[in-house]
Amino acid sequence: MNTRVLYVDLLERKSWVRDRSDLFEKMLGGVGVASHLLLEECAPKVDPFSPEAPIIFATGPLTGIYPCMAKAVCLFKSPLTGNLGETHAGGHFATALTTAGYGALVIKGGSLHPVVLKIRDDKVEVKTASSLWGLGTRAVDEALAEPIKNGLQSIASIGPAGEHMVLYANVIVDVHHHFGRLGLGAVWGAKKLKAITIIGTKSVPLPNPQAVKAFYEKVEHEVVATDKMSKYHNLGTPSNVLELNALGALPTRNFRERRFEGAEEMSGERFAETVFRRKVTCTNCPVACIHLGSLLKTFAPDHEKGRTEIVKEENLVAYNYEPMFALGSNLGISSPSRILELIDLCEDLGLDAMMTGSVLAWVTEAYERGVLDEKTLEVKPRWGDPDNVYPQMIKNIAEAKTPFYSRLAQGVAKVSDRYGGRDFAASLGGNSPAGYATGYGHIVGTLVGARHSHLSNSGYSIDQQIAAGKAKVEDIAGFLVKQENWLYVLYSLVACYFSRSVYTPDIVVEALATLGMKVNKEDLERLGREIFHTLYRFKIREGFDLEKEYIPKLLRELDTPIGRLDPQTLKKIIAQYIELREREGLTIRKKEESLAEFLLPQSEG
Amino acid sequence: MSLRYRVEIRNPSRCIGCYSCVFACSRHLFNAVDPKRTAVFVELDRRGVRAPKVSMCRFCKEPECAYACPHGALQPIPEGGITLTPSKCAVCKTYDCIEACQYKVLVLDEDKKVPILCDRCGECAKYCPHNVFWYTEAPEI
Repeated sequence: MNTRVLYVDLLERKSWVRDRSDLFEKMLGGVGVASHLLLEECAPKVDPFSPEAPIIFATGPLTGIYPCMAKAVCLFKSPLTGNLGETHAGGHFATALTTAGYGALVIKGGSLHPVVLKIRDDKVEVKTASSLWGLGTRAVDEALAEPIKNGLQSIASIGPAGEHMVLYANVIVDVHHHFGRLGLGAVWGAKKLKAITIIGTKSVPLPNPQAVKAFYEKVEHEVVATDKMSKYHNLGTPSNVLELNALGALPTRNFRERRFEGAEEMSGERFAETVFRRKVTCTNCPVACIHLGSLLKTFAPDHEKGRTEIVKEENLVAYNYEPMFALGSNLGISSPSRILELIDLCEDLGLDAMMTGSVLAWVTEAYERGVLDEKTLEVKPRWGDPDNVYPQMIKNIAEAKTPFYSRLAQGVAKVSDRYGGRDFAASLGGNSPAGYATGYGHIVGTLVGARHSHLSNSGYSIDQQIAAGKAKVEDIAGFLVKQENWLYVLYSLVACYFSRSVYTPDIVVEALATLGMKVNKEDLERLGREIFHTLYRFKIREGFDLEKEYIPKLLRELDTPIGRLDPQTLKKIIAQYIELREREGLTIRKKEESLAEFLLPQSEG
Repeated sequence: MSLRYRVEIRNPSRCIGCYSCVFACSRHLFNAVDPKRTAVFVELDRRGVRAPKVSMCRFCKEPECAYACPHGALQPIPEGGITLTPSKCAVCKTYDCIEACQYKVLVLDEDKKVPILCDRCGECAKYCPHNVFWYTEAPEI
């Protein structure tokens, strides 16, 4: 296992390595190790945009060794929520970092000029990159890529959105992957860090190669020859569109409706028939969940004297369910090529597609209700975007063009605080929820999750069990606790969320044993809980107060397959959840009782 | 592994770029996860417009690499492909064999200072999820 931690100071432009086997032995890797490094490096209440705010990347003991162990985690202080920033990316980042010889990477300080951090095995350089500033992420990737025959290369970069410190700017990894959601791109922008390139060519030795080979064969069979992950390979997550629509859980037009008349047209099936071109994947993952769709761009008509038949350029854009919902059904758009165009724009500018979709949905509704006028917006947004104004709005956000668009760049909660319309601003814990109008589990799970993501604790999945009569509303709180604790074990290895049905506790114990790591299921359970508590204490230290969190009206009274949600039931589930967590020894409530502040309109209207 | 076995790339456009073959190869040859010491190569088109380029030894009947070896360390074999005598190779400083390969699929093991040869174990084919490789017992296909 790689226990070396690479520290880089962007201001001083120097780097050093420390062996942290103490941490890796205790916390496995991934989020476990990164959570400790975060506490070491991040002073309380630090401004996320200050040079003192660190960025921590970590890989895990199974990175590159077993299938689907291809994720890198990153912890930082989120400028979007003001507390924990946690994000995971696939691509080649984790395996390149591991084969470059590092288990983790800590970035400190901030540069005064645009820089690129270049890591090639032992050679680490912080290089001036003023000429890259202003470029989109695709162009940066093209500029920095080197031909590599035997070695792993990863390039992570920010676009104009990160440079302008849009609070939901992403870091784009290897063109089609991301460190998404909580604004890591903005933190890079504040540090003037345009990109990180990693080339790894070193060997990861195996203590017991025969055991690893035998176990690889077993687990690879589970991944490719059973139906445990076939969904992700076949249609991929876009298969959700028709499933959720049939269930009545596909958020449409800013979560106001739960069935979309354009579902058929934007379905994974239709994408597969029309725009799908190729699948790509992360290093050492045979699943290939990344589906690339063809986006044809026509040049300006006068470019080739109007001969449009020869002036179309093909670009491949990764599509999956969440951006399809956010920039499709939730905006009333169903055309695959329109959806791909918006996704492509977000990717190139380095914007989080999910939050961008939520912001546009809020703006559209606010305009419809007269909360915003055309003078402020400069355009007339309407559902389905018949006037094709969304692309320009997305560019305006990424470049924080006017005071209004700078507000939009702060996310849907903050902009509605300023302009009104908080009750239809889809936001939970400061983040925008994923595309599931499934029930209580998704709402509560996103709200209480450490990173306010549907991948925190799979709340949407117990909702679907409840809708099918296989679970009860009373089970939700316990499910969320158990699920999030376990996922933090997987996120320490670092496994992909999609492989959770393969990497069961028994399999994980066995996998670690092949590397000479003796742990049992109870140890892992304890570890997952401990990691969650560490992260939550960090959140609380930075000002997160679950009791003061607010669930906007459109989500607390959401129509779902099990009927309209009842605020009292939501409150009850959250109270149960807090009780279960407090029984584990984590203090969440500042004072006894008082969940009163929950759900209370703070600035509604 | 018998030299009668043969592995070749049959469906290059199916490659998804997962590197399963590369890691299977390094596990087999070097008991490690190693992107550098491998006899099979994956070169990505980073945007994914084209399939990755997968390459490996083509088991030439008239192998340039063996012809270029000044020490007789690399010898052609009738079925196609080459064998290596490491003791003869050890004296070499020029590595003409690596330069000679037209397909650039012979690379140097920088630890042992000998070229890395595919030993036809078929692990790359076994772990390729998309049947990019063809693995067969017959010397002629």
